Amino acid sequence: MYGYVRPVKGELKISEFERFRGVYCGLCHELARRYGFLSRFLVNYDFTFLAMLLADEGPAKTCPRRCPSHPFRRTECLESSQSLQTAADMTVVLGWWKLADGTADGRLPARLGCGLACRALKRAYGRAAARQPDFAAAAEENLRALQKLEKEKCPSLDAAADKFARLLRSIASGVEDLARRRAAGELLYHLGRIIYILDAADDLAEDIKTDGYNPLRYRFQPVDGKLSDEDEKVLRTGMQHSHNALVSAYVLMGENVYAGILSNIIYLGLPAATQAVFAGTWNTSAKIHRKRSSI
Amino acid sequence: MNDPYSVLGVSPSASDDEVKRAYRDLARKYHPDNYHDNPLADLASEKMKEINEAYDAITKSREQGGGSSYSYGGSAYQTAGQSRGAGKNAQYIQIRNLINANNLAQAEAMLNAIGSHDAEWYYLMGSVYWRRGWMDQAGQYYRTAATMDPSNVEYRNAVQYMNQGGQAYRPTGGMGASMMGGDAACNMCQNLICADCCCEMCGGNLIPCIGCR
Repeated sequence: MYGYVRPVKGELKISEFERFRGVYCGLCHELARRYGFLSRFLVNYDFTFLAMLLADEGPAKTCPRRCPSHPFRRTECLESSQSLQTAADMTVVLGWWKLADGTADGRLPARLGCGLACRALKRAYGRAAARQPDFAAAAEENLRALQKLEKEKCPSLDAAADKFARLLRSIASGVEDLARRRAAGELLYHLGRIIYILDAADDLAEDIKTDGYNPLRYRFQPVDGKLSDEDEKVLRTGMQHSHNALVSAYVLMGENVYAGILSNIIYLGLPAATQAVFAGTWNTSAKIHRKRSSI
Repeated sequence: MNDPYSVLGVSPSASDDEVKRAYRDLARKYHPDNYHDNPLADLASEKMKEINEAYDAITKSREQGGGSSYSYGGSAYQTAGQSRGAGKNAQYIQIRNLINANNLAQAEAMLNAIGSHDAEWYYLMGSVYWRRGWMDQAGQYYRTAATMDPSNVEYRNAVQYMNQGGQAYRPTGGMGASMMGGDAACNMCQNLICADCCCEMCGGNLIPCIGCR
């Protein structure tokens, strides 16, 4: 998806990092098992986080597995579980929509690639949507509403972010306990908001160059593809409030076997990603991260 | 009631200090100040009550006394608008009650039905957006309210809270990064100095003093 929701690796315990990798690799294997090889390319950090956040099974079992990207090294992968299956289904649903969105804008080669991938994953999407009908409906409704806002060049940052935030919040509807469901819904709403705003801030210069829609273009007055210091402060203070709401919801979610990793992502990872995006180093640092960690 | 020790997440053999520390960390987590105008405030205050009761039960059963003076008052918390100066007209009071009951759709509908927009209108609209999680819009409405009526303390407080970034729980031990940035290095120094002070109390030292070597 976007990849902003990731831990600060240096602050993880080694055991935590191994478990995190176990979930990531487990999700990738689950995707292959349920939706075929191609769907593996949709694996991402965001749904790894969601699989951990909504894991309500006890201590998870792992087993050593090989995969095409590490043919000579066996990795301890999380075994299939309810939350992992749900995460895999949702990865395919949202991944497909993101590809479908990519066919609508961007440059021609990228559009062509998205179109091909979209067609190749059409069947997988159909199966995933049948397994998660509520989430698929929420994805369709909110992403269509978002496209409409983009076409209208919606000047409200909150209104645009709201659609993506609602989409993420719909994931919480599967949580059984009411208090936990409310907390998860609030957490995911603000996570969606933060992801959307980060993505907008990250793409701002590019969107100005190509004259694409970006809510920050209309909410603020960017100069040379950048927000003024004053505007950036207003924007980041608003994000801080969202992050506070996210944290306040997180501590109400109750116990979780992945608490150490989740806390790292929430308390350190999100602020670090935000810092990198606003410093303009996100794309480079993300690339370095990918190379070094090579999960 | 649940076992008070499991509520605080300590074993029954924990020392008084350990119990107190666990209690304080939990109280910091669910403190009403972290749930300022938050739709989950009721869940947090329930949690707070549970923790207070557990702590009181433990201190009472240990017959140490004095412990209950530490308990944070969860019930003393009131949501914004309820206690502070209510608006002039009855409609605004009704809207405030709707907002406090989290009935945002109806509050917004009533606000939209009002033709003339004074400072109170902007403030209440800001509150609706705030509760909905639309922080950017909320800030704009709060600022308009405070500009229209600079003498109103409630509006001013809302703008100040908005600008200062609010607050939420952060675990101790360097896990307190902020989304606003800028002062990350400064925080790190503060944490280090703090950690050093703590260590020195326990006989250790993180920042060795040159003269002491």
